[in-house]
Amino acid sequence: MNNLFMVIDATSKGNFAKLTRHRVPGALPFGAKYRLIDFSLSNCKNSHITNVSIFPYGNYRSLADHIGSGDRWDLNRRHDGIFILPPKSLNLTVEDTISFQRMYEHIEYFLRSSQDYVIVSPANLVWNVDYNVFLHYHLMNKADITEVLSFDKKRLKTYILSKSLLLEYIYSYDQIQFRNLSDVFDYAPNLRKETYVFESSVYFINSSKELYEANMQMLFKSVRKEWFKKDRPIFSKETMSAATRYGDDAKVSTSIIASGAHIDGEVQNSIIGRKVYVAKGAKVYNSVIMNQCQIKENAVIEHCVLDKETIVLEDAIVKGDPDKLFVSEKKQVVVSNESMAILQVSSECFPFIKTGGLADVVGGLAVKYSQLGIKSQVILPLYPQIKNKYELFLELRATDKIVYDLKEYRIGLYALNNQNTTYYFVESYEFFERENIYGYEDDGDRFAFFSLAVIQTLEALDQLPDVIHMHDWHTGLIPCILKNKQMGYKTLMTIHNIEYQGIYSSEIYERLGIENYKMTGHNKVNFMEAGLTNATKISTVSETYRDELKYEYYSKNLVDIINRRDRDFYGVLNGLEDDVDPNLDLEIKNRYTLVNVFEAKPVNKEDLQKQMGLEVGNEYFVLGMVTRIVEQKGFDILIPALYDILENSLIEFVILGTGEERYMNALQEIKNRFPKRVSLNLSYNATKPSYIYAGADAFLMPSRYEPCGIGQMIALKYGTIPIVRQTGGLNDTIDAYDLSSKRGNGFKFFNYDARDLIFQINNAFQIYTHMKNDWQQLIINAMNSHFSLTDSAKEYIELYRLI
Amino acid sequence: MKKTMISMILVGGRGTRLGDITNATAKPAVSFGAKYRLIDFTLSNITNSNLDVCGIVTQYEPFDLMYYIGSGASWDLDVLDGGIRFLTPYSRKDDVLWQKGTAHAIKQYYGFIKDYQPSYILILSGDHIYKMDYQKMLDHHLRHNAEITIASTPVSEQEANRFGILEVNEQNKVLAFTEKPEHPNGNLASMGIYIFSVNVLEELLQKADPEDIDFGKNIIPKSIQLNKAVSSYKFEGYWRDVGTIESLYLANMDLLDDPDFLGLNSSKDMPVYSKSLNLNPHVILSGGSAKRSIIADGCLINGEVIHSTIAYETVIEPGTKVIDCVVLPNVSIGRDCFLRNVVINKGVIIPDNYRCDPLALTLITDTNLFEVGEIYE
Repeated sequence: MNNLFMVIDATSKGNFAKLTRHRVPGALPFGAKYRLIDFSLSNCKNSHITNVSIFPYGNYRSLADHIGSGDRWDLNRRHDGIFILPPKSLNLTVEDTISFQRMYEHIEYFLRSSQDYVIVSPANLVWNVDYNVFLHYHLMNKADITEVLSFDKKRLKTYILSKSLLLEYIYSYDQIQFRNLSDVFDYAPNLRKETYVFESSVYFINSSKELYEANMQMLFKSVRKEWFKKDRPIFSKETMSAATRYGDDAKVSTSIIASGAHIDGEVQNSIIGRKVYVAKGAKVYNSVIMNQCQIKENAVIEHCVLDKETIVLEDAIVKGDPDKLFVSEKKQVVVSNESMAILQVSSECFPFIKTGGLADVVGGLAVKYSQLGIKSQVILPLYPQIKNKYELFLELRATDKIVYDLKEYRIGLYALNNQNTTYYFVESYEFFERENIYGYEDDGDRFAFFSLAVIQTLEALDQLPDVIHMHDWHTGLIPCILKNKQMGYKTLMTIHNIEYQGIYSSEIYERLGIENYKMTGHNKVNFMEAGLTNATKISTVSETYRDELKYEYYSKNLVDIINRRDRDFYGVLNGLEDDVDPNLDLEIKNRYTLVNVFEAKPVNKEDLQKQMGLEVGNEYFVLGMVTRIVEQKGFDILIPALYDILENSLIEFVILGTGEERYMNALQEIKNRFPKRVSLNLSYNATKPSYIYAGADAFLMPSRYEPCGIGQMIALKYGTIPIVRQTGGLNDTIDAYDLSSKRGNGFKFFNYDARDLIFQINNAFQIYTHMKNDWQQLIINAMNSHFSLTDSAKEYIELYRLI
Repeated sequence: MKKTMISMILVGGRGTRLGDITNATAKPAVSFGAKYRLIDFTLSNITNSNLDVCGIVTQYEPFDLMYYIGSGASWDLDVLDGGIRFLTPYSRKDDVLWQKGTAHAIKQYYGFIKDYQPSYILILSGDHIYKMDYQKMLDHHLRHNAEITIASTPVSEQEANRFGILEVNEQNKVLAFTEKPEHPNGNLASMGIYIFSVNVLEELLQKADPEDIDFGKNIIPKSIQLNKAVSSYKFEGYWRDVGTIESLYLANMDLLDDPDFLGLNSSKDMPVYSKSLNLNPHVILSGGSAKRSIIADGCLINGEVIHSTIAYETVIEPGTKVIDCVVLPNVSIGRDCFLRNVVINKGVIIPDNYRCDPLALTLITDTNLFEVGEIYE
C-alpha cells in the first residue's frame, strides 16, 4: 500500500478553442490512440497509487466515459479507487488551477483518504514518471511543499505535500490570500519549499498548438523511448478496431498510425488516429488527425489538427501554417477552399463612422477578409456624417420601397469599393438623416427598419453572402425577418457588449409584418435575445467571456438563452491592427522595438513624467490607465487600492479617460492627497494615449468584466506590463509571470477584491525594483505576445466555413 | 441459475497441421489478421448472440489462451451469473481426467452443464473465422423441431475430404453424415457447430460406448442411426476453418484483399472484439512503406511491406522487403532481407541479409530458419 494519493487537476480549460468545446482538456485525444489523462492515470498505476481523484471543471462526460470504472488502470478497487469530483457550485467561474475553494467542496474526500501525502498534478501532462521519486525527494529534503519543474524549468503545476498541510489550506480557503498551491509556493512565508527538476521529456499541454507539438514529438525515437517504456506502459481504454490497412497507392513515411485506420493516400510526418480513412489521392502532411476522420479523394491537409470525425471533402485544400494551425471542430465538414462571400451588418464601421471599439473590429475584419481572399462586404446605415465626407465616392446601386408599419418608405442603396472590400450604405431620410447616430426614442424602429432594408436589398449586392455576420443588438432582428420571409441565409451573431440589448415595444414585430413571433415577457422585443435565439451560430469576443456568459452574474437576463445555445456559441478573440507598434508611433519621444526597448522606455517614461508633472526618475514605478471611467472597469476596487499602494512613495499613477462623476471626484481626492505622484487627464483628448502606453511601466485593467479588452494588447505591444483581473479577454491574453520558468507576460488576480489587486501591484513593484532581469524578461515576453487582427479574421473565416 | 442455451467451446487437441505455430500455443490463441486471435471470432459471436455462459474445454497448452481470455471482460463475458469457465483436465480421487476427444470432454464436464439447467447446448470450436448469430441457429432448431442441429456450409470438392460431409433432404433433415470421407458424397460440410436439445445430448452421452469420444466421428453418426431429428442449418457467409498453415495463410490473404472483410471496422453489426494488448500505435519511419498490407500496433516499420499482414510488435529494419507474407507477432526482421511467400512464426528473429523466397508457402521458425532460406551477401 502506497502512502501517496493523487489529486488530478482537470480544472484548467487551457487555450484549445474548438477542441475543448465538448470535453475537458484531459479527455483530448493524443498520440493517435491515447487521451491526455492516460498518462497521469498510467503513472498512478505504475507508481502503485490506488487512490486517485479527478476535479474536472465543466463538461466531463467525455472524460468519465473514457475512464469508466478505471479498470484499465487497476483503479476499480474495493478500497480507494478513482473518484471524479465535479464542481458543486456552478457560480464558480473557470480558473486555470485547482483552488482550495474547489477542494473544500469535496473536503470529505480528503478527510477519508488514508494516505499521508498527496500529489496534485494537472490532467494535461504528457510524461512517464514514477511519482514515488518525487515523494522520496520531498521526504529526503524534509520539505513542506515540493514543486516539480520540467527539464527546461517550466512549471508543471505539480506539487507534493502532506495531507495535513493541504487540509489546513483547504479549511481556511476563505481567510487566506492564496487561492491555490502555486500561490502558496510563490508567496507563503515560513514554508520549506523544494523544487524537483524532472529531466525526461515532459509536455504540459495548454493549447492546441502545444497539443500539436507534443504529438509531433512522438515522431522522435528518443521521446517515444521516454514516454512508452516496457516496464511502465501507458494504458488506454480498450477499443475495437482491426489492424491498420494500407491500400495499393498508400505512401506513408515518418508517421504514427493507429489501428483501424485505412490509408489509400499519402501520409507524411503525421499522427493518424483510429479508424481514420485517407482516400486515394489525398495528401496529409505535418498534421494530427484524430479518430474517425475521413479525408476524401484528392484533399490536401497540411499543418492541421483535425478533431474526431472531421470530414474533409473531395479536393478540399486545408492548409494551416506552423504558427497558426488549422483546427477543426468535432464532426466538422471541411469543404474546399473555394471563395466565399461575407456580409457584415453593423451600426458602425471604421473609417466611416465610429463611436466605440465595435467600429474598429468591423472595419478591421472587413479589410482583412479581402486580404485573405474572401468577398468582403459591409452594410450600414447612411448617416449624414458619412454622406458629407464620402459623397463623391458613393455610387447609387438601387432604390427601393420598404413597407414598415404599413407605410411605404423610399430607400437608396449606395456602395463604395475600397481595395476589394465593398461597403454599402442604406439611405433613408426618415430614419437616418439625423444629427446623432444613436440616442433616439425610436432607435428600435430605426434599426428594425435597417434590418428589413438590408434583407430587401440583398439581391443588389455584388455577391449574395454565404454568411450574414451581425454585430450587436442593432441587427438582432435579421434572423427573425429571414425566417419570416423563409429565406435560408446562414447567420452569425456576435455579442460585443451584452449590457446593451435593445429592448423596445413588441409592436415592432407587427410593424415588420412578422406575425408568429414569440413574446419575451411584457410586450417587449429584446433585439439581442431575438438574435441569439434565431441566428445559426452565435459568438462573442473571447473564449473566457464566452464561458463567463454562462453565469447569470455576467449575462443577467440572457443566461437561459445563452446556455441553451451553448453548442452553437463560440469565442473569437479580437486582435490589433498591424500598425499599432511603438516603432511606427510618431507621437512618442523615442520610437522603439525589442532591440532598443531598454534604452527607449526610460526616455519615454521621463517624457511622460515631465508632461504629467510627476516626480521624474526611473526609480518610480509608473502605473498607467487608459480607460472609460465606469463601474465595469473596476473603479470600485481601484480607488481603495490606490490609497493603499500610493503610500509607497515610489509608485506613480497616471490615467486618461472620462466617465462617471463619482469616480472622477474620488480620483480627484486621491490626486489632492498625492499631488506629485498622481496625474489625472479626465477628458478624451487631455493627452495622447501613446504617451501612457509608451511611458508607463505597468498598465492597470482591474475590470469587473471585460469581453475582450484592447488596452492590454496595446500595452503588451509597447512593453508595458498589464496588471489585470482574470476575466474575459484579459484572461485569454495575459499569462501570469512565473519567476521559475520566466514565462508569462503580466500579472493577474482572480477575486474582484481590492486586496488581491494591491497584492499583485506590490508583486509587480517588487520585481520591477529588485529583480531587474525578470522585469526585462517580462518586457520581452510582453512585446513578443502576438494578438493580431489577421488571426481573428482567420478564426472568423473558419467559423463561417463551419456554419 | 436457469439458462435457455449455454455454449461450450471445444479447444481440444494440438492442431498438429499448423506445425510449429502451435508449439506453445493452443490453436485458438493463434494470431490472425495482425491483431486478432482465432478465438476472438467465436467469443464475439457468443456475446453478439446474447449468450452469457461459455465453457471452454481445453487441455493442450492452455496457459496462453487462459491468460488471453482472462475474465472475458473484453467480450463482455465477465457477468455475475454466468461468464467464462475454463474446463481443464483435473484429477479426481480415483482418476486423472484427460480428455480423449470432444464428446468425451463434454461428458466429463456434464456437471457444468447441469449447473445452468439449459434446454439447449451449443457446441463450438475455437479456431474458425466467421460471424454468426447463434440465436438464428436456435430459431432454426426450434422451427424444425430438431433434436440436433448441425451448422453446415458448402465447401469446394477438393477440400471436402477435410470435413464431415452431410447428406440432407429438402426439409434440411440430415440423412447421413461421414467424417472426413475419402470419396465425399456432396460438398455440404459440417462446420463443427452443433445445437443439442439437452435431453438428447444426455441420452447420447449415456448410451455412448467408452470408445465414442468424438462428436464428428461417433456421436453424430450414432444419432442418425438412432433416428434422432437431426437438422442442417445452412450458413451463408464467410467461414474458414483454420486448420492448416495454408488455410491460415489464405484466410489472412482474404482479409488483405477485401477491405470490408467481415466488417471488422464496423462497430454496429456484430462487432468482433479482441483483447487490447495496450501497445502504442505503430510507426512507419522514413525508410518504411506499406502497400496493400495490414499492420498492427506496436510495430516499427523501416522497410518495405507489400501485400502482407504484420502482427503486433514486429520490427522491420531498413532495406528489407516483405512481400506476400504473413508475419506473426513479435517478429524481428533485420536489414536488407528479402522475404516472399512465407509465414513467419511468432517471435522469430531474422538476421540481416536473410533471403527466403520459396516456391511453395513455407513456415519459417527458429529451427528451420537456415533450411528454408539463407544469408546472402
